[in-house]
This record gives sequence, structure tokens and C-alpha cells, in this order.
Amino acid sequence: MRCPVCLAMMEEDSFHALGEHLVQEEQRSDGKHIMWLNRYIGIKKAGLDQVREKLEKLYSLDAGLKEWIIRRLVERIYGEPLHPFIVRMQHPDNKTIYGYVMEHHHFLGQWIRSCSAIISKTRVEEVQLFEIDNIVSEYRGIPPDTPSHHELLLRMGESIGVPRSTVYDTAPLPATIDSLNWWDRISKECDWVETMAAMHTLELTANPDIKKMGAKSTYFDSAVLNDPSYSAEVKQFLGEGYKADSGHSMVALDLVEKYCDPGKRRNVQSTVLKSVELLDNYLMARVERGESYGN
Amino acid sequence: MEINYKEGCALCDATWGEYWEEVEGKNRFFCCDICATAFKNLVTKVKAENAWPTIDSLEITGNNNSGRKCTATYDGKEYRFYIKFYNDGRIFDFHSI
Ligand SMILES: [Zn+2]
Ligand SMILES: [Zn+2]
Repeated sequence: MRCPVCLAMMEEDSFHALGEHLVQEEQRSDGKHIMWLNRYIGIKKAGLDQVREKLEKLYSLDAGLKEWIIRRLVERIYGEPLHPFIVRMQHPDNKTIYGYVMEHHHFLGQWIRSCSAIISKTRVEEVQLFEIDNIVSEYRGIPPDTPSHHELLLRMGESIGVPRSTVYDTAPLPATIDSLNWWDRISKECDWVETMAAMHTLELTANPDIKKMGAKSTYFDSAVLNDPSYSAEVKQFLGEGYKADSGHSMVALDLVEKYCDPGKRRNVQSTVLKSVELLDNYLMARVERGESYGN
Repeated sequence: MEINYKEGCALCDATWGEYWEEVEGKNRFFCCDICATAFKNLVTKVKAENAWPTIDSLEITGNNNSGRKCTATYDGKEYRFYIKFYNDGRIFDFHSI
């Protein structure tokens, strides 16, 4: 199985092997592996047996893979306390919108690279068609009547005074670059089912039904969509995303569950654990970018 | 500077890992370099906010998910604050409470 921190593949598909790897990395004081142990195993140093037991528990599926994935996303982003970006999104100010536009433009560029990697690696037609539709709605649109999500993002930026040339010409923040590099690596090195799980887990974030799945709040307060203080472009971006992501993420996770080879199921879980960590850091980059609005 | 975590990492109390760094004249145990960076940023910030030359004691509670509520003292004065870090150890949020 894969390590959920560095994605290295263990020699055997066992929690014992993963536990050994984590403890080895701990012994050389690797910050990323230790942060992971602190979060998922506990802050008190434990022996290999205890680590293995906790890993078994973390990876155990009582309600199926899809439910497990949803739980990981909800606990990381929508637990107590809410992720700082979600807090700001409830009634987003221009800073928040700015951070969103500036970083998400780069994210969407990676998004379509990852989705096309899925298309190129699978021969399952329903998966290919799903990802083609996804790429069209996220990045291409059907001009002129149906703008893509990316186009709506750029228009949202323009509505708060940020020209699209600025969005294109500004490099993403280091945390965004790091997350995008990891997602790129996942799309190149991992199976298509893993890549699908890693990417479409992210779409759960904007799923309008996320509260029914245990989240402490929705992505944003839906009152924003009727609030005259927001531009039509902001409302259109948020409203369209809401509609799109509710369908996308659930269909995608159903496909992941359907095509996940039981022998590779733990790899998918590790990739999802990695992806929610990358999402956390990427959403923090949106917040951080927002702080420089108007400078 | 006295700190409340005696066994584990000076910032997060974890007993995993082993990373040593001198802060305020004492070699201290951290679980990893990220916690050491965060801890040094915390100390520098508290000293700057209060114009203190050093800190006598520091008590940290919470974790980086919730953010940390802390109490620092110097020369009989007490300063309570909230701090949360980015995942690379830079300060994300800092305010007195
Ligand atoms: Zn690893
Ligand atoms: Zn630590």
C-alpha cells in the first residue's frame, strides 16, 4: 500500500509495512510524517503494534469507500473549528474573492491536466465521458451561451476590479504550487482510480448537501445568492459551482467505488488522505492571497 | 524561559521525532523542524508585541487545528494570546485575548 504522506509504495500491502515506514520516517524526524502521526495516530509516541492498530482503524470501511472518503473531507475541512477559508466564504468579502480568483485560476489549470490523465489511463468509456464533460464545463464551456466555470471565475475577478491579465500573470503562492505539484504527481504516478478519488474528493468541498454529510456549515451562506451587495458575477460563479459540484463529486465517487480493485483500495484511501491535506494547504493559500488584496 | 511541556515537543507536546534547537538560551526538544520554526516565530512575536527582552514563562494549550491559547509572563506581567500557524510554521493568526 501507499504511504499517505509521501505516496511511496510499500513492498507489501499491509499496515505493518506502512507502520514500519512511518516509524522509520519518524526516527529521522521528517516533519511531514510526524505531523501526520500527530494528527492521525496521536501525539504520544507509540510502538509499531499500536501504530498498526490505529492504521487498521483509520482505514477500516464500515459504510463503504465513498462514505469513508466523504468523512475524511468533512473532518478535515468542515469539522470543529471550520477551515479558515470556509469561515471567510460564509459572506465573502473582496479579499476572500480575490484570494479565490488568483489561486483558483492555477488550480483549474491543474484540474484539467489531472482529469485528462484519467481519460488517458482508462479504457472505461463512462469514466472517459464523465471526465470529458467535466473538462468542458470547468474549463471550456460551450461559448457563447454557456461559459465555463473558469470563465465565470475570471468574470468574478473582473467584477471586483481584477483584470484577467493580472490573474494570468501572477504566479500562485508557494502553498498552491506545492499542492498543484503533488496533484500533478498523483495524476502521473497513480492509477486512474486513485487520481479520480484524489481529485473529485476536492469537489465535495462545494457540494450544497455537505451539511447532510456531517459538515458544520455549507460552503457559503446561500443568502449571498440573493444579496444585492454582491455583483451578478460573484453570484453566478458561486451559484453555478454549487449546481455543478453537487452532481460531479457524487457521480465521480460512485465511479471510484465501482471500479476500485479491492486489492488497491488502500492505495485509493492513502491518496485521498494526501489529497485532503493538500486541499487544506491550498485553501490556506487562498486566505493568504486574500490578505494582499488592494496592495 | 520555562515552558509547560516538559516531556514532549516545546510547541505541540508530541513525543514523536527528535529535533533540537536553542531558543531563549536553552536547547529545546521539538518533534520536527516545522514546530521549531513555529515556536521561534511565537517567541519573537510575543517579545515584539510587548517590547519584552525575554519571556519568563510560556504556557501553551490547544493544537494547530483549533489554534493555541497561550499565556506568557515577564517580570510579573502577564500576556494572554491566541496563535495559529500555517502548516509551514509561519504565523497565520495572532491576537491578544
Ligand atoms: Zn512516507
Ligand atoms: Zn511538535
